[in-house]
Amino acid sequence: MDPIIATRDLRKVYRLGRVEVPALRGVDLTVQEGEFVAVVGPSGCGKSTLLHVLGGLTSPSTGSVLVDGNDFTRMSDADRTRFRRHKIGFVFQRFNLLPTLTAQQNIAIAQHIQGNGFNPHRFQAIVEMLGLQEKLKRRPYALSGGEQQRVAIARAVICEPKILLADEPTGNLDSENSQVVLNMMRTLNRTFRQTILMITHNPEAAAVADRIIRMRDGRIISD
Amino acid sequence: MVNRMIISNILHRPVRTAVSALAVAIEVGMVMLVVGLTHGMVHENARRVEGVGADLLIQPPNSSFLFGLSQAPMPLKIGDRLAQVPHVLAVAPALFVLNSVGGINVIYGIDLQSFTRLSGGFVYHAGGPFTGPMDILVDDIYAKANRIKVGQQINMLNHQFRVAGIVEHGKGARLFIPLATAEDLLGVQDRASIFYVKCTEPGYVESVTEAIHDLPGKYQVLPIKEYMSLMTSNNLPGLDAFITAMIGIAVAIGFLVIFLSMYTTITERTREIGILKSLGASKGYIIAIILREAGLLSVVGILAGYGGAAVGRKAILAAFPTLSVELTFLWALYAASLALLGSLLGAFYPALRAAQLDPVDALAYE
Repeated sequence: MDPIIATRDLRKVYRLGRVEVPALRGVDLTVQEGEFVAVVGPSGCGKSTLLHVLGGLTSPSTGSVLVDGNDFTRMSDADRTRFRRHKIGFVFQRFNLLPTLTAQQNIAIAQHIQGNGFNPHRFQAIVEMLGLQEKLKRRPYALSGGEQQRVAIARAVICEPKILLADEPTGNLDSENSQVVLNMMRTLNRTFRQTILMITHNPEAAAVADRIIRMRDGRIISD
Repeated sequence: MVNRMIISNILHRPVRTAVSALAVAIEVGMVMLVVGLTHGMVHENARRVEGVGADLLIQPPNSSFLFGLSQAPMPLKIGDRLAQVPHVLAVAPALFVLNSVGGINVIYGIDLQSFTRLSGGFVYHAGGPFTGPMDILVDDIYAKANRIKVGQQINMLNHQFRVAGIVEHGKGARLFIPLATAEDLLGVQDRASIFYVKCTEPGYVESVTEAIHDLPGKYQVLPIKEYMSLMTSNNLPGLDAFITAMIGIAVAIGFLVIFLSMYTTITERTREIGILKSLGASKGYIIAIILREAGLLSVVGILAGYGGAAVGRKAILAAFPTLSVELTFLWALYAASLALLGSLLGAFYPALRAAQLDPVDALAYE
C-alpha cells in the first residue's frame, strides 16, 4: 500500500535578507494512512516547517513531497490551496479560531470553504464526539482553552480530511485539558482511521502516538 | 456563512463601521445635494420663465439665454413691430436689472399692463399693483425668506422701494419694478432686455418665429420649448465642471476612507486571513470576503446618505427658501453606483494584498 505521505530528500531554505537559513536539510519520511505519528525535537529543528510543507502552506526548496499521491513540488500555490481545502486539516497551538464567529460558525466555515455545503450529520457526529453540544453558540472568548482547541479539532476534521496536521495542540493547555485533547485525537485516529501527524515538545503527548519521529537540525534523527 | 462572518466583522468593529459608513453617506449626500441644488436652481429658473406664459422669447442678437448675463437692451419700439406680426396675441417687454444685495437676483422692469395681458396677471397674496415709480412687487417665496410685508421699505439697488404687493411665485422673476424705474436705474431710455411674445395659438410659433426673423435687426428668437431644453446644467457655463469637481471630491472621500478602513482591517486581521488560508480559502474567496464587506459598508452608507440628503434638503430649504433642491431617483441611483464603485475600488487593493499574504507569515502575525 502506498504511503499517504512520502518525502524524499526534502529541503527548505528560508532567506532572511542575504542570509540563507536551512530549516529542512534532507528529510525522508513515510507515513501510512491511518497512522498517528508524533514529531518531536527541540525548537528550531524544523518540525513546524515540515508541517507547513506537508500541509501545502509553503513550498519545499528541493526534494519531493508526495501527499496522497500528489507531488507538491509540481503544484502551483492555487493547486496546493485546493488540495489543502479537501485533504488537510490543521490544529494549531494557539487554536486560531475566528474571533467574531461562534463555535458552530467556526466549525461550519471549513465546510463552506470546501464548497460542499453544510453536512448536518457529519457536524452532529463530530460535535457529539468532541462534547461541544453546549458550547456551539459561544464565541471563542467565552470558551476555555480546552474548549477552543476542541472546536479547532472539530473544524479540522469536519470535512473528513485525509490527514490531520497538529502543531503543538497541547502547547497552550493545562495538563487536564491536554489529556482531553489528546484522548480526542486518539479517538479520531482509532474510530475514523484518521491519519494524524502531530508536532509536540511534550513527551507525554508524543506517547499517545503510534510512532515517534525525532528531529534535530532539520533532519530526522530517529524513527 | 460568509454573510454572517461579514456581518459579525462589521459589528465587531462598530467605530470603524460607523466612520466608513459615514464617509460613504457624506459622499452620497454631497453628490445628491450638489446636483439637486444646481439642477433645482436651473430648473426652477426655467419654470419661472415658462410661467410667464409666452411662446417666444425675443432677445438682442448674440445674447445669452442666461438672462442675468445679457442686459444688452433693445429699443422698446420693437415691441410695436412684434405686435403687428400676424398671429401674435400679446407682447410684453422686460428690462433686467441685476441686484446683488442679499443674494444675486434678476429684477424685472415691466410694463404692468402688457405683462398682465400676456401672463394673465399676477395673483396677489397681499397688496396690489404698483402705484408709484419706487414701488416693488416681490413673490411670496422671496417675501417669506426675507420676512417682507406689504408697505415695507426695502433697500434695493441703493434705492428705497416700497413693497406694493406680494405675488404668487412663478412668473419670470421674484422681484418686479416699473419699466421706467428700471430704465432710470440703468441710465437707458425706452429699452428692453427681452420681449415675451404670446401667439394666438401655439401652432403658430413656427410661422411667427419666421416672421420675426424677417424683421430688420436680426433679433434672436427662442421658442420657450427650446429655452426649456437649453436650461440644463450641461448648457450653463462652468456648472457641469463644478458638478463634476464636487462629485469627484465626494467620490475621493468615499474611496480614501474605505481604502484606509479596509487597509487597516487587513492588517488587523492578518492572522484571521492566515486561518482562512490554512482552511484552504482561495485568493478569490478572500478577495470576495473583503469586497463584500466593503460593499455592505457602502450599502449602509448609501442608505444613510439618502437620509442625510433628505434632511439636508429640508435644512437648506428652511434656511434659504428661495433655493430649490431636486432630489431625483436617477441621481440617487448614480450616487449609489458611484459610492459602491468607489468603495469596491477602495477595497480592491487591500483585498488583493490580503489574498497574497503568505499563510505561514499570516498565521505567525501577532
